[in-house]
Amino acid sequence: MGKRRTSPSRRERPVKSKPCVFHKENIAYVDYKDYNMLRKFISDRGKIRARRVTGLCPQHQREAAVAIKRAREMALLPYVVGR
Amino acid sequence: MLIVIPELDEEQVENTVGRFKTVIQRTGGEVGGVNNWGRRKLAYQIDHHADGFYYVMEFTVGERTLLELKRILRVSDDILRHIIVKLPPSYAHQSLPEEAFEEEAVEAAG
Repeated sequence: MGKRRTSPSRRERPVKSKPCVFHKENIAYVDYKDYNMLRKFISDRGKIRARRVTGLCPQHQREAAVAIKRAREMALLPYVVGR
Repeated sequence: MLIVIPELDEEQVENTVGRFKTVIQRTGGEVGGVNNWGRRKLAYQIDHHADGFYYVMEFTVGERTLLELKRILRVSDDILRHIIVKLPPSYAHQSLPEEAFEEEAVEAAG
């Protein structure tokens, strides 16, 4: 179990080479006002998705997280869904 | 961006927003663009309000005015929420269709 990285034996997954969407679309500033776009990065519970899921680069994941938090503050996105 | 309470009518909302504009302009600031998103439903209730008038303003201000502005925003009863964001310098004033704008613009969203 511990050597998940080194053993290619189990279910080899292709190396993720997908570029981060913000790079791909050449977006310089992750805007909190664009809540529909940010919606892609939250779960249906309203939680911020992990980088593993979003496929964002470290920089943009960070910026997206900040943007989501700002959007939440302005009631553009929910803090929790369904309660 | 600021959210005005839904109890006011359009005219009063305009007045409220205009008040902030004058505060900025009086002290030599520049108001680039005011974008009215109109009455929108909030993602969650704020003080038992389910909706509010959204306004996005793009402006430049000095440090002193900024403090003053923040103070006024905080004490105004008409303002449900507000946020002031410093935009990256590279971020040139650009208005895209539908909504955009803060202290500078960005891509749209419904």
